[in-house]
Amino acid sequence: MKYFLYWGCSLEASGANYLASLEPVCKALGMEFEEIEDWNCCGASISYVGANDLAIKVLNARNLAIAEKKGRYDIIAPCSSCYIQMNKVNHEIQTDPDLARKVNAALAEGGMGYKGGIKVRHIQDVLFNDVGIEKIKAKVKRPLNGLKVAGYVGCQSVRPFGEYDSVEKPSVQDKILSALGAEAVEFPKKMRCCGSGIFLSEMDLCLGLVRNILEDAVNHGAEIISTVCPMCSMNLELYQERINKKFGTDFDIPIVYLTQLMAVSFGMDMKSGAALDYNTIPPEYAIRAALGH
Amino acid sequence: MDKKVNYDPSFATEVYNNVDYGEEIKMCMQCGVCAASCPLSLEMDYPPRQIFALIRAGKREEVLGSRSIMLCTSCYSCKVRCPRKVPVVDVMHGLANYALKKGFVPRKNTANFGREFWAQIYRLGRIDEKDLPRRYFFADGLLEGVKNTIGFMDIGMKMLFHKRMKLLPEGKIKGISALRKMLDKASQMGKGGAKE
Repeated sequence: MKYFLYWGCSLEASGANYLASLEPVCKALGMEFEEIEDWNCCGASISYVGANDLAIKVLNARNLAIAEKKGRYDIIAPCSSCYIQMNKVNHEIQTDPDLARKVNAALAEGGMGYKGGIKVRHIQDVLFNDVGIEKIKAKVKRPLNGLKVAGYVGCQSVRPFGEYDSVEKPSVQDKILSALGAEAVEFPKKMRCCGSGIFLSEMDLCLGLVRNILEDAVNHGAEIISTVCPMCSMNLELYQERINKKFGTDFDIPIVYLTQLMAVSFGMDMKSGAALDYNTIPPEYAIRAALGH
Repeated sequence: MDKKVNYDPSFATEVYNNVDYGEEIKMCMQCGVCAASCPLSLEMDYPPRQIFALIRAGKREEVLGSRSIMLCTSCYSCKVRCPRKVPVVDVMHGLANYALKKGFVPRKNTANFGREFWAQIYRLGRIDEKDLPRRYFFADGLLEGVKNTIGFMDIGMKMLFHKRMKLLPEGKIKGISALRKMLDKASQMGKGGAKE
């Protein structure tokens, strides 16, 4: 199983624990990765302020073109913003010949072209559909013994097409969590937006969005929240103190990446495999309690 | 008494012709599912449905100056739910882009942040997560910048101590000059740019 891994800008910095845990987990599951050589940023959610729509599409088409030229593997985008940007642009190029022509006219300025032969997928999709729950289960050496995890899917990891999961009531992440031995907590706000790319510039408004999500997860019994997006993770994890100050709440709930929980349950080291020391709210206590350490 | 209201279609035409995805609003039937789905609609002066109605009614200043068009979090709830398949997210982004081009500043902070974001992509090809907030914090001058930086120290320190900050500055991608040529061409060819 070979793929291009487009990890994007965040996974080298604020989302470093995502990449650090994703790589060993996927390797253990028999996946092989190739980097998209000299990749560029996807433009995430906020580029429209400085660029028109065609420029943002061309930005993404450059990555697709490099991948297509190199090989025909699917691209995995673990960051939900990268995924939605790249996948959306890809679909539009594949289905709109007029757009494909315009995009290629711009790509040609840099000596590139894209025929539309690549597929873009989220890591949840690949884990669920290519690897499969049975294979994940078979790798579990340390089941999470009913650790109550709220699988926060976030807004962009399944939308807009819903190719591998429901855009309203997703279940893929919960199924993976269950395969690890965790108890996936049902909570209605699992797809409600955290503020994403405008969090920093609209913090006063977005702190309330995050509070509602945390409250919903905690009220439904979650001991830990798992995410599959660096924006979700950052917004939910780093601002809990500010939320507590603003709203008089007392949140102190660890936010981990799904792949970090996978690494732990696969028996990997808490630090060198699961990168739990990257998390600012320590998840070790809850995890160790579940493992019975 | 004549109660007929004459709408001025010139602004709607302006939107259809110059705003990315602008013509899609023709499909809107004013049901309000977008407004009900939006995480920040309660913070908006006009939720998306009303923005579309105002465009049809010719209310140029109200629309292009509205904070709503820059409060989109890009969550796509509206887009997946719209029964008429209006890509509401894309229309809101298109309107924000157009408003800023025309000199309106619907939300100053997001405008500053987004401008620095795109400038960095154009300069490097990638986002440097340390450099971007720094430039954003100082967008309104030195004094504001120092204040903003001090106000953000708690978060910055957490990230630094937990290895969530790349210490080396982000360099340019190898193909940066070719990328810029492509982006320049796309900017000209896109809606509202010079023609092909």
